[in-house]
Amino acid sequence: MIKTSIFRRCTRALLLLWASWAAFVFPVLADDPAPKVQLSISGATPREVEDTTEKAIVRDYSAAWAALTKALAGNRAGALEAGFTGAAHDELAARIEQQAKNGVRTQITDRGHNLEAVIYTLEGSAMQLHDTAQLDIQVLDGGNVIHSEHATVHYVVLMTVAEDRWKVRLLQAVPGF
Amino acid sequence: MSKLGYILLALATCLFASYVAHAGELNIPNQLSSGQGFSIPTSGTGTATFYLIGPAGVIKRAVHLGDAVNVAGEETRAAGRYVAVLRSGDSNDTKVFFVTPGKPAALNFLARPSRVPTAKPDAISGVAFVFDGYKNLMIESVPVNFSLAVEKSAPASRTVPAKDGIAWIQMASGRSQGAAQFVASLPATDVSVRRVVQQVAGDACNLHMKAQAMAKTIVVETDPIRDCSGNAVPDGTIVTFTETDSRGLSTVDARVKRGIARAELPLSENATISVAAGVVLGNEVHIRWASPGNGGAGAARANLKFKDGIATDGGRANAEGSATGGRE
Repeated sequence: MIKTSIFRRCTRALLLLWASWAAFVFPVLADDPAPKVQLSISGATPREVEDTTEKAIVRDYSAAWAALTKALAGNRAGALEAGFTGAAHDELAARIEQQAKNGVRTQITDRGHNLEAVIYTLEGSAMQLHDTAQLDIQVLDGGNVIHSEHATVHYVVLMTVAEDRWKVRLLQAVPGF
Repeated sequence: MSKLGYILLALATCLFASYVAHAGELNIPNQLSSGQGFSIPTSGTGTATFYLIGPAGVIKRAVHLGDAVNVAGEETRAAGRYVAVLRSGDSNDTKVFFVTPGKPAALNFLARPSRVPTAKPDAISGVAFVFDGYKNLMIESVPVNFSLAVEKSAPASRTVPAKDGIAWIQMASGRSQGAAQFVASLPATDVSVRRVVQQVAGDACNLHMKAQAMAKTIVVETDPIRDCSGNAVPDGTIVTFTETDSRGLSTVDARVKRGIARAELPLSENATISVAAGVVLGNEVHIRWASPGNGGAGAARANLKFKDGIATDGGRANAEGSATGGRE
């Protein structure tokens, strides 16, 4: 019994040490692939989501998260331009600016998103979605991991048509749907 | 003996590592309202570093253990998920909490279209986005009032609950033409956003013409053209007159001027003339004209027969429009 408990504690401690190490090594080894996004459009009102729009939302939301991951990890606000606009862009840019000022970085390993279209406006220019995201998040101050967690995060998302793609205009985490 | 020593050393390492990895929880509520400051009590002695990682900012602050850590309302303006960390040496106390939007205080309002025909069901749509004072989208249900009114007519009004900060509506355009005020507002507040939707006369209704045979032409003229709500269709609206006889088809497109469309068509001994404006068809007039050489009654008088139409042989009217189709 005692042996089992000690073994568990050892395993947990070693896993934490490994996770700290991996946070530095993995980004160097390879670029993050586009996050996996699954979209359900059955609940969208008042307008039905067209096939092309469905594909575009999946593609552009995935690209937005890839950009966000890169921006937060490298404190590069410029990376946000590809996927964010309006309030979402401004808030994230402000966060990145303060991260950089304080020597903090956020490393996100994106495990995927379950998206649900909720509102698709009649004129087809805006869509509200609910996202349940699986994320491994590490916050680092210099070389120290100050926070590490696997989190299921619920986001209310507003995407709007901008230039040649859909962009995230609002990304607001909520306790649940 | 040496084996036992290694085992004890490994155990000590693991226990130390797990102690280091131990994370306590900071005393912060699970949910706060945006712009709400808070204070976190700390215990112990020495210094520590406090981090607050939020959706729109990161705070890093040196604190004295034993003193409270104060977070100002300005630092929790953005709604979303926050992580607070108090790091002392290698020990972390953390807390994940949410900041939720405050009271509804602002609206964004999209109204479509900017110009719409009168009396069309579901022709006008509006989408309102409800925000709190810090531009966070309201998540809890909030009623939004939509009203549509043209001067001198009663407004159409409806209240719709916003879901996740969005309320939308489809409304019929009014019966009167003019600049309609489309307003979204938050009840019990002075927050409202106004858009103007220009309501214009719809398609012609009961399109009706009369024909008059002159010496060399047939002059056709509509009655004043109005939509089904009685609004005069705008000047410039195209009205098409079509004449069919044994020689083929003649069409003339005429523009409405002062509410009426007029045109001249080639004189024919036996013709059918019809009128249309857009997709709306009007009446049809049959004309049979007996020339003097054919034993007719009068030299230059028309003998008009009607089907659902009116014909007059009064004074000559000025022609409006130009021939576009020609004879086919």
